[in-house]
Amino acid sequence: MVGWEFPPSHTGGLGVHSYEMTRELTRLGHSVTFLTPFSGPFTPVPGVTFHYPGEAVAGTGPEYPPAYWAGETPGSPFGDSIDGYNAWVEGLSGLGSVDIVHVHDWFGTVGARALAARLGRPLVMTVHSTEYDRSLGHPWERILHREQIGISAATRIIAVSRHLRQQLIDRYSADPEKVRVIYNAVRPTERLERIDPTKRFVLYVGRLAAMKGVDTFLRAASRIADVFPDVLFVIAGEGPEYARLIHLATRLGIGDRVMFLGKVSDEEREMLLSGASVFVLPSVVEPFGIAALEAMAAGVPTIVSKTSGVAEISSSLFRVDFWDVDEFASRIAELLEYPTLRATMGDEGRWEALREGWPERARETVAVYLEAMRAEGMPI
Amino acid sequence: MIAPDVLERLRALRRSGRVAFLAETYYHSLAFLVPPPELAEEVAMHRKMLRAEFGASPTMLRMTELAYSDDLARFAESERFRGMLAEGWEGALRGQSPTYPYCAASAPTVALLLRHYPLSDDVGFRFSSTGWSEYPLTAEKYARWLAATPGEVIGLFMDFETFGEHHPARSGILEFLSALPSEVARHPGLHWSTVEEAAEIPPRAPLSVPYTMSWADQNRDLGAWLGNDLQRSAFEAVKKVGMVARQSADLEILSDWRKLLTSDHFYYMYVSGHGADQGVHQYFSSYESPYDAYANYMNALTDLRRRALDRLGVPVLK
Repeated sequence: MVGWEFPPSHTGGLGVHSYEMTRELTRLGHSVTFLTPFSGPFTPVPGVTFHYPGEAVAGTGPEYPPAYWAGETPGSPFGDSIDGYNAWVEGLSGLGSVDIVHVHDWFGTVGARALAARLGRPLVMTVHSTEYDRSLGHPWERILHREQIGISAATRIIAVSRHLRQQLIDRYSADPEKVRVIYNAVRPTERLERIDPTKRFVLYVGRLAAMKGVDTFLRAASRIADVFPDVLFVIAGEGPEYARLIHLATRLGIGDRVMFLGKVSDEEREMLLSGASVFVLPSVVEPFGIAALEAMAAGVPTIVSKTSGVAEISSSLFRVDFWDVDEFASRIAELLEYPTLRATMGDEGRWEALREGWPERARETVAVYLEAMRAEGMPI
Repeated sequence: MIAPDVLERLRALRRSGRVAFLAETYYHSLAFLVPPPELAEEVAMHRKMLRAEFGASPTMLRMTELAYSDDLARFAESERFRGMLAEGWEGALRGQSPTYPYCAASAPTVALLLRHYPLSDDVGFRFSSTGWSEYPLTAEKYARWLAATPGEVIGLFMDFETFGEHHPARSGILEFLSALPSEVARHPGLHWSTVEEAAEIPPRAPLSVPYTMSWADQNRDLGAWLGNDLQRSAFEAVKKVGMVARQSADLEILSDWRKLLTSDHFYYMYVSGHGADQGVHQYFSSYESPYDAYANYMNALTDLRRRALDRLGVPVLK
């Protein structure tokens, strides 16, 4: 598996996905070699071997900037480092017997394609998001190019939502026959008792990137802050929009009602979810939106933008147009105002979010592997 | 007026002397579940309208969604109705046949005519279902089934929308309907009667229904409207607003409140416990989800309560 980030250091859904997917694949009896540009540490998973450039000398792996921000910050991660990583992937030896080369997103597509060709094995690519979306329509050409290489070369492509699948077909000319949809999932956790039911807050958890639409959350908050003087608006996460969002909160006159927590640990996130009254994911673009599914799994009533992939698999949430500040404000207000609505949507959402999990997703993924092998005329 | 020609046709039917009008609540409401005098008032409004528009004085009563109970039979008796309609549901019949007239155990002067739901649903639900083993249903076949049904009276009761909406004209439902009278006439054992005529057949036995029965869903209870927390919470809330709406003595506020008692609002809030049966409810719903339905309803109700309180001069507290 040619990957990118892996827990415990991860910034988005891709890291969670890689961890859960490799874990379930090994449980199904497969062994996984996970390639990453980072030197770790890696949360150990039995049956998963990690490799990174420079691993022969411990701790000397190259530092790569977080690529998910690449399109949004002046410093881009291009150059020899990426080519070097891909060349390293291509030339890797001693991998033993490999059935499938599976690459996630754009970073390692060139190396993965070459490795698959060298080993004579099918290439499968999972697309978690596209450069068009991450950059809100101002893509880096060189990232697009790498995405296109993977999508064109892969025998089968996995998209994390129907919406994303259509985009791959429309914008990258992916062959519809080759693109499968496999949604993300969440792992069941104990439902914690609410920390203190008298303290109420509306929660956003995620990166502070332009595509996440946190502006909309702040503007909606400012419309209802006076009506609910006991409610706080909590923003957990870090990212390039951080400073701008703090200024915006101040300008909207709700600086004292918004808490910016910065990056939170998994444990802190679970605590936040156990106490939140409402979860909001107002993304302009959200190929899946695993944070919303996690909130639902924790029993928190959730509002997402209509374009979110997660909206495709659940009806136990509110779906709002990402630009509709008034509608976000109304939905938040309704959930704060009507306890029965909160409780019922929370319960049904929890059930829906946990109805299927990573084991189902891993089995679906293995089915795609088998399909790819059959398509390449390989014995199974 | 939206469709005056429909009213004119109903008047023509009335003049034919071949139809009986049913009394019910003026609004398609759950008035029978809120404290008196709401139910009596809504039934009186409806009677008044029937008299004014059609010159009709109905003697038979039916409740919204075919709701029926021993208590409702007592209400019908107190309002001097000859009888009521109810669902011919096995749970209430306890082995007896739905094809005989009964009387209410709680009010023996109230005749009970029961809906034969399998034969009614053959037309109402299954008519255009191509997967049905009896598809296509012809008037000739249906008349044969009616003739082969033992008993004294067959209650066929379906929505007006059955003919042309649930089953669109291209399904052949209108041809079926116009062919049915002559097909029925071929069977000497069958003849048509109005509910008022059928109510004069001596009852076979008293029937007791201690809970409220309806014609909806698998359980034939009120679960479709008051089965979940959203629905019950909305209904409790509308009952409370009813008190201030009445106190306000503002007819417009009272009328708006009665519209909020409409059963459909609660139907849209149906959450089936994890997805099953959601389909039928969603088909009839104008909302994206039961949560939307609930939130919009509660917003409207909150607004109405504010109007009523303003009328009463109660200051805003919040």
